[in-house]
Amino acid sequence: MDEVIFLEVIEGDAVHARHRLERFPVTVGRGYGNDVILDDPKVSPVHLRIERTEEGGLVVRDLGSRNGTFRMEPWARLAEMSLAQDARVMVGDTVLRFRGRSYPVPEALEAEAPVGPRQRIFERPQVFLGALGGAMLAALLSSYLTRYDKTDLGELVFSMLLPTAMTLAWAGGWSIASRIARRQFYFRAHGSIGSLVLLGMLCIPGLMLVLSFSLAWADRRQWLGLLCYLGLIGWGLFWHLRYVTRWDARRLGAIVTAIVLGLGTLIQAQEVLGNEEFSYSLSFPRALLPASFRIMPAASVDEFFGEAAELQRQVDELAKEK
Amino acid sequence: MVALLALVILSQAPAPAQPPTPAQLPAPEQVALPPPGQGAPELVPQLPVATLTPATHELFERIKRRVAQVRIIESRSGTKSSIGSAFFVSAEGHAITNYHVVSDLVLHPEDYTAELVQDGQEPVPVKLLDVDVVHDLAVIHLGRQVPDFFQLLEKPPPQGTRLFAMGNPRDLGITIVEGTYNGLVHDALYDRVHFTGAINPGMSGGPSLTGEGRVVGVNVATMGNQVGFLVPVDNARALLTRALAAKPEDSTPAALLDSVRKQLLEHQEFITERLLATPLPQQSLGPYRVPGRWMPFLKCWGDTPHDPEAQYTATSYQCSSEEDLYLSSDHRTGAVSYSHQYLSSTKLGALRFSALYSAYFSSDPSVVDATRDDVTNFRCHSEFVSSGGLTLRAALCLRAYKRFPGLYDLVLRAASLPSNTQGVDTSFMLAGFTPENALKLARHYLEGLSWTK
Repeated sequence: MDEVIFLEVIEGDAVHARHRLERFPVTVGRGYGNDVILDDPKVSPVHLRIERTEEGGLVVRDLGSRNGTFRMEPWARLAEMSLAQDARVMVGDTVLRFRGRSYPVPEALEAEAPVGPRQRIFERPQVFLGALGGAMLAALLSSYLTRYDKTDLGELVFSMLLPTAMTLAWAGGWSIASRIARRQFYFRAHGSIGSLVLLGMLCIPGLMLVLSFSLAWADRRQWLGLLCYLGLIGWGLFWHLRYVTRWDARRLGAIVTAIVLGLGTLIQAQEVLGNEEFSYSLSFPRALLPASFRIMPAASVDEFFGEAAELQRQVDELAKEK
Repeated sequence: MVALLALVILSQAPAPAQPPTPAQLPAPEQVALPPPGQGAPELVPQLPVATLTPATHELFERIKRRVAQVRIIESRSGTKSSIGSAFFVSAEGHAITNYHVVSDLVLHPEDYTAELVQDGQEPVPVKLLDVDVVHDLAVIHLGRQVPDFFQLLEKPPPQGTRLFAMGNPRDLGITIVEGTYNGLVHDALYDRVHFTGAINPGMSGGPSLTGEGRVVGVNVATMGNQVGFLVPVDNARALLTRALAAKPEDSTPAALLDSVRKQLLEHQEFITERLLATPLPQQSLGPYRVPGRWMPFLKCWGDTPHDPEAQYTATSYQCSSEEDLYLSSDHRTGAVSYSHQYLSSTKLGALRFSALYSAYFSSDPSVVDATRDDVTNFRCHSEFVSSGGLTLRAALCLRAYKRFPGLYDLVLRAASLPSNTQGVDTSFMLAGFTPENALKLARHYLEGLSWTK
């Protein structure tokens, strides 16, 4: 062992305190007469001593402590133990580790290429205002188009302002997280990201409606819709977190992907794995848009009723299950 | 008692399929039970015929032993789960009742048995011999001779004849009720005698007879307020003849269930032939032509609600057999109904009209009652279809019967793609048909939709 060693007080995986030991013997314990003081109530006032032997090695000796000193690997109570590089002992609830100066440490991690501070597109004021305005307009339009009773201005304004207020509150929450983690609010960036996510949320149903009508989709619509929503949530989460954490893009991407896939599985598991409940409901797409939206050709009456054999096969199959 | 109430209420003419619209049509008189004791004897017209009949108490004294109460016993609880009435028609102990009184014996033979209770005597177990599910009749057999039984009337009496309905209403004991014969119900899918007199739950399966004690019909349903229905005695005679000629193995539970299935198959064949033999009339709705009243047994209603606030008008037109066949207290079949909605607006733009029109297309008409044990879930196929100069978004849905293989319920939904700001949306519902017949009818129906211009 080196002439100088370090006694490290370990907490979990991390080093809580590190003491440089140069002159021996060294006493360790709770009392103030020790060289190294441990504030652990299960440690005796004078607990152990580290001494240099004639051969130049180091030994740990228990000084008759109440709760004893233990070596970690293999687990055993000890009276005396000669120290090797990286040896660990336990006193009371405290783990002590001994390392010499020659202990090798790994090479530094490679950092992402350092870049000068640059403004991302989300941080530009016009992007923030544009995204927020777009989301407000989309909220207004979707509320106007999906209602067919007499136009009520108050309701329209409310349906526009409510999502706007929610987006701003959402951005505020993320800003506080940014401030805590990175000492800067980034409110404009979070506002732009939130507005763009809202805009996406408002556009997806309309897009799905048009797509499923034009192409006469029945089941695929649901899956594509889910995929769009998950993609949007993943994108929003990625960029919000980008402004909160200092993780590199690849790691963050992996975490966000895992979160989004987990969410998607959670949503779909019930439907895919659960038993079908008994109901009278007829499940087929109900969207009706002006004829000019239709791309799929119309079938003849013959072709339409030709599909009945397949239906009959499906319900016969169900009837057999009982 | 509750089960019994439900039995009789539910064996009534059903409500028409609800239109998928907030509009309320002037529905035909709904079935509602009168509270007990709400008789109105002064409403029974005093007819000269009535003076010819003997006094009611003499008649009752003479025939009271020919009527009995049927109790359906649930084996696990060991007590009655529902009740009805029955009357003897042979010296060997054959009695007639309603199918709906004994349906549990057909569908769950392992869980239910039946017994017959005569005035002041111990219950006697009875055996179910045969059923006629279409006319709601059943023949049961008491394993011993009976001293007294009814004769069935050969020829229908003239309208206005004084009749006497008998049975055990609400488990209160055998009673006799005076009423009037009012002929067969017009334009009905299922033959029924209109009896003006109080028929109450528990009297199902009891006889209605002339003053001479000859049976005219079997009590089957009530609409309340003295409007009662009987199964014509001809159907009872036919079933009795068949039951008397049957072999013992024809009344095993499996044979009975199979017999019900055959009767349903035969019946749907009969309705299909009648419908296909009749040209489907067309009805105008805006610029569209839609199927109108196909046959007299279909009752049609229509309306356009006037709401000054609404940005659109919705005209509904619906036809329904308003009757169905009772299979069990929660499974009906043998119904035909369809409805149309014509929507138009001068105030809405094309996209907002589409939203409105989609919302109407999203609500479906009600289908006949059934449970998980009776039918599967629906499976649908949907497509754009061009027919009669119209492009339709159409969906065809089927569900299969679990107990009666080969029978299905079909729903056809179709909506024309909106043209400017108007469109027509239609639904067609068939209960208890073979796929071949259901598809033939559905196809005929779909081809009845067209554009006039």
